[in-house]
Amino acid sequence: MKESLIILKNVKKTYKVGEQEFSALDGVNLKINQGEFVVILGPSGAGKSTLLNLLGGMDKVTSGSIKIGENDIAKYNDKQLTNYRARDVGFIFQFYNIMPTLTVEENVALIKDVTDTNKKVEEVLKSVGLLKHAKKFPSELSGGEQQRVSIARAVMKNPKILLCDEPTGALDSKTGADVLKLLKKQADNDTTVIIVTHNSLIAEVADRIIRIKNGKVESNETNKHPKNIEEVKW
Amino acid sequence: MLYKKMFRDMKKNLSSFITIFLMIMIGIMAYSGIEAYMDGMKETADKFYKENNLQDMIVYGQNFSDNDLKTIKNIQNVKNVERKLSVTGITDNDKTLLINFIESNDISKFYVVKGKGFEKDAKGVWLDEFYAKENNIKVGDKILVKYEEISLKEEVLGLISVPDHLYDVRDESELYPDRKEFGFAYLSINEIPEDYIKSKVMKEMNIQDKNIFDTYLKDFNYKDYIVYNSIMIDVEDKSKRDIVKNEIEDKLKNALAITNVEDTLSYVTYQGEIDEGKTYVGVFSGLFLFIAMLSVITTMTRVVKNQRTQIGTLKALGFSNGKVLFHYIGYGFWISILASIAGLFLGYYFIGTTFINLEMSFFEIPNGHPEMNISSYIVAILSILIVAIITYITGRSILKENPAETLRNKVPNVKGKSLNITKNKIFSKLSFSTIWNIRDVIRNKIRTFMAIAGVTGCCMLIVCALGMLDSMNYFVKLQFKTLYNFNYKLNISENITKSDLNTLYKKYGNHTSKTLNIEIKDKRGNRKSNNIFVTDADNYVRFVDNKNNLISKPKDNGIFVTYKLAQTEKYKIGDKVTWHIYGDNNYYTSKIIGFNKDPQNQNITMTRKYLENLNINYNPDTIYTNVNLSNIKEIKNVETIQNIKALKDGMEGMLSMMKTMLVLIISIAILLGSIIIYNLGILSYTEKEYQFATLKVLGFKDRQIKKIFIKQNNWVAIISIIIGLPLGFYLTDWLFKTAIEEHYDFAASITLQSYLISAIGTFVISYIVSKILSHKINNIDMVTSLKGNE
Ligand SMILES: Nc1ncnc2c1ncn2[C@@H]1O[C@H](COP(=O)(O)OP(=O)(O)O)[C@@H](O)[C@H]1O
Ligand SMILES: [Mg+2]
Repeated sequence: MKESLIILKNVKKTYKVGEQEFSALDGVNLKINQGEFVVILGPSGAGKSTLLNLLGGMDKVTSGSIKIGENDIAKYNDKQLTNYRARDVGFIFQFYNIMPTLTVEENVALIKDVTDTNKKVEEVLKSVGLLKHAKKFPSELSGGEQQRVSIARAVMKNPKILLCDEPTGALDSKTGADVLKLLKKQADNDTTVIIVTHNSLIAEVADRIIRIKNGKVESNETNKHPKNIEEVKW
Repeated sequence: MLYKKMFRDMKKNLSSFITIFLMIMIGIMAYSGIEAYMDGMKETADKFYKENNLQDMIVYGQNFSDNDLKTIKNIQNVKNVERKLSVTGITDNDKTLLINFIESNDISKFYVVKGKGFEKDAKGVWLDEFYAKENNIKVGDKILVKYEEISLKEEVLGLISVPDHLYDVRDESELYPDRKEFGFAYLSINEIPEDYIKSKVMKEMNIQDKNIFDTYLKDFNYKDYIVYNSIMIDVEDKSKRDIVKNEIEDKLKNALAITNVEDTLSYVTYQGEIDEGKTYVGVFSGLFLFIAMLSVITTMTRVVKNQRTQIGTLKALGFSNGKVLFHYIGYGFWISILASIAGLFLGYYFIGTTFINLEMSFFEIPNGHPEMNISSYIVAILSILIVAIITYITGRSILKENPAETLRNKVPNVKGKSLNITKNKIFSKLSFSTIWNIRDVIRNKIRTFMAIAGVTGCCMLIVCALGMLDSMNYFVKLQFKTLYNFNYKLNISENITKSDLNTLYKKYGNHTSKTLNIEIKDKRGNRKSNNIFVTDADNYVRFVDNKNNLISKPKDNGIFVTYKLAQTEKYKIGDKVTWHIYGDNNYYTSKIIGFNKDPQNQNITMTRKYLENLNINYNPDTIYTNVNLSNIKEIKNVETIQNIKALKDGMEGMLSMMKTMLVLIISIAILLGSIIIYNLGILSYTEKEYQFATLKVLGFKDRQIKKIFIKQNNWVAIISIIIGLPLGFYLTDWLFKTAIEEHYDFAASITLQSYLISAIGTFVISYIVSKILSHKINNIDMVTSLKGNE
């Protein structure tokens, strides 16, 4: 049994909308192990992105604690959060969010500006199959290729946690599967990969499936028999 | 890597960054160029005055003897003196020459452009370089110089500039010099022919026979009888000139007037040009720089705000706020440094040099060159800082958010509170587009404010530019149509006899005037020089009140003073003014019975009868006539003939030059205004793209959406026009009232037409820019826009 890397205790997040308060997360308790391939499922507006943003240090909790290893990032100040994001977290967004004016390899090399990494841009690009596009600008790539740039960028820093918000949401199923394969490979390399999606098929390949609804964890179970990506019918 | 991103981003937003570059460059160029030109004028003159030893004071009189010269020289603080005979002569081709016969040339020394310098024994003439150029006269040419009975054929020995002749006009009513018709010349005193002096002396002594004269006055030396009518004084300590002045007044009874050089026409006009220019151009270039900076700021804000998602992403990747900020500040920083350097450079070499050269074709002064002003560097540095600070503030407002917030989407954070009023009942009656725009304005107060400030500034500039033209035209009309109600002005020779005068009267009528140079003594005993216009010209010279309505000339029981003089001296109707004529120590006291407005001369007016009632002799110096003199070049006993139409044409020529300048100002104002509207338009468009896309999905037609979008810009334009028109008037009025030389009394007078042009122009420009922007609505891609990400 692996030790829990991530432990959330009674995490609440409320947004002020005008005069009213809106509770996006309402007492979330979670444990996630290191190296797990986690899928978070839930209807739109359930609070999935909110949860992911809190995990990634992009937003602050209203109350509760988020332990990453020894540290409670809920208590971090802005500077500590920045360091945390720079060193430990990789993000993958639905719309890639790569720098349009940097080439593929430059987008990946950008990471060297925020953290020390022993990875080589070339190797990382090779691992996502983008070596031949290294000199291209993002606008010259397909959606799937762009998402792979964003994966390469995340992988480049060798993060503890890889957070993906609907990474395949904008992709067709074939390219989506390719992207998932790459993400799965990271989990096999001991990175904890957390994917937010509303595509329940993806859940079939996960080690752990967390269901969220109305800001609460509905279920949190380990998948005893995760399938290979090839086995899933998209 | 971020540097690479920066340069690529700049390349991608090339037009924006070129705009920023140009705006800063032009703004700083305008400012520094004009400063350099103004400082250059001052420096150039200071240097010329110093190196060529401009006199500090001048004493005018009928005749100064050797003894008088010695007396002055012995006064404490007097360093050097030099006397000369200055007269107005003519040439064989009827040009007017101010002729100076001098003994030496140590004060107001020649600057020799060509030829040789002054030598007392040299036979020949040193000629005004500008006059020579206009009339195509070269060193070595021979010219004929005539004065009274003297007629000298002289070789031109040198072409010169002299520090007390930077600016010369035949008559003060001519606003700008005509170098082709009027110039100055210097000759050695030795050139005055003995015969001329001899015959003059004989005439005075009533001796007809030359032989008798020669026997009676065996040791007659004609040089003792040469008349010198002015003395130039060079002092050790300028601040103690009053003491020198008092002593001369005590010791030299024949000194008619003693003037500090700062009060002479040449000096005053040149200095006035600097002072006026500093305010005028300072205001224009300041306002200009302000608008330019506003357009830079809006562009920068637009560029940074458009990078919202990228900022969020960089933060998500772990870049610290500092690093991200630094990256974005770099955008404006390098551009503004480059632009500032280019602006300073062009300001000096392009604007500065061009303007100086323009001035140097007007003022006769050698070696005109621009001079860099410290404030230009300060303004350049400030501009760079402002751009950096604005980028910092814009960037920081985005960085203050959580990256999650930044990345969430472009849907702006709608704060309910401030919009509550718009939920009021009154608003429910308004159309959707109006409510929508009101809310948008309330939510974007700063943006709206900047838009209004920018458009107002441009509207002001346009009003002011047109208004200056209007006001000048108005002035020309007032001066040459209303006040001057005659066609020709004849300046009568000083020593005219009664019978000669009557001959003139018979030919040209007896509408005359006389100007008396006086000193006014105020209650505290301070004396100030001024002049009295004594009129016997009926309605040939008319008067107006403050509102430019005609009033009749003063009654014979008192004087008029001009409004501006009354204002500065705090005169009221019924007050008494105490004055004396230069060269006469009798003081008179006159009652103020009215005010008149004079755009060019702040003085006192009285009638001939009033003057004669004071027992002062009236001998006119000017005749006004409507007799057609268009073919007449020369009239006996008349020094100069001035054609009012020619004066007016001259003025209008100057105005058309001004027009070109103003057209330039207006074009730049329009350009800057358009940039500001465009930037803010894009800014608001980007924020609203999501909403527009939604409207489109809902089935709104492009045309409807465009209407919503244009509506707000129209509001901004209308508000700006409402503010800009009166501010434009006040700016123009201020420029005319405060910036102008003391003896002018101008006010803004802007025609309805100019207001209309400014208003419609501003609106149309704003409308066109909105229209161009609204084309973007055709191209909204609903799918990607609604995804809310780049
Ligand atoms: N910055 C915010 N301000 C106000 N409400 C927010 C904000 N971010 C998210 N929400 C609300 O919180 C709820 C959960 O949002 P989110 O976590 O994005 O849902 P999803 O599960 O679809 O990713 C939604 O109802 C959303 O409207
Ligand atoms: Mg989401």
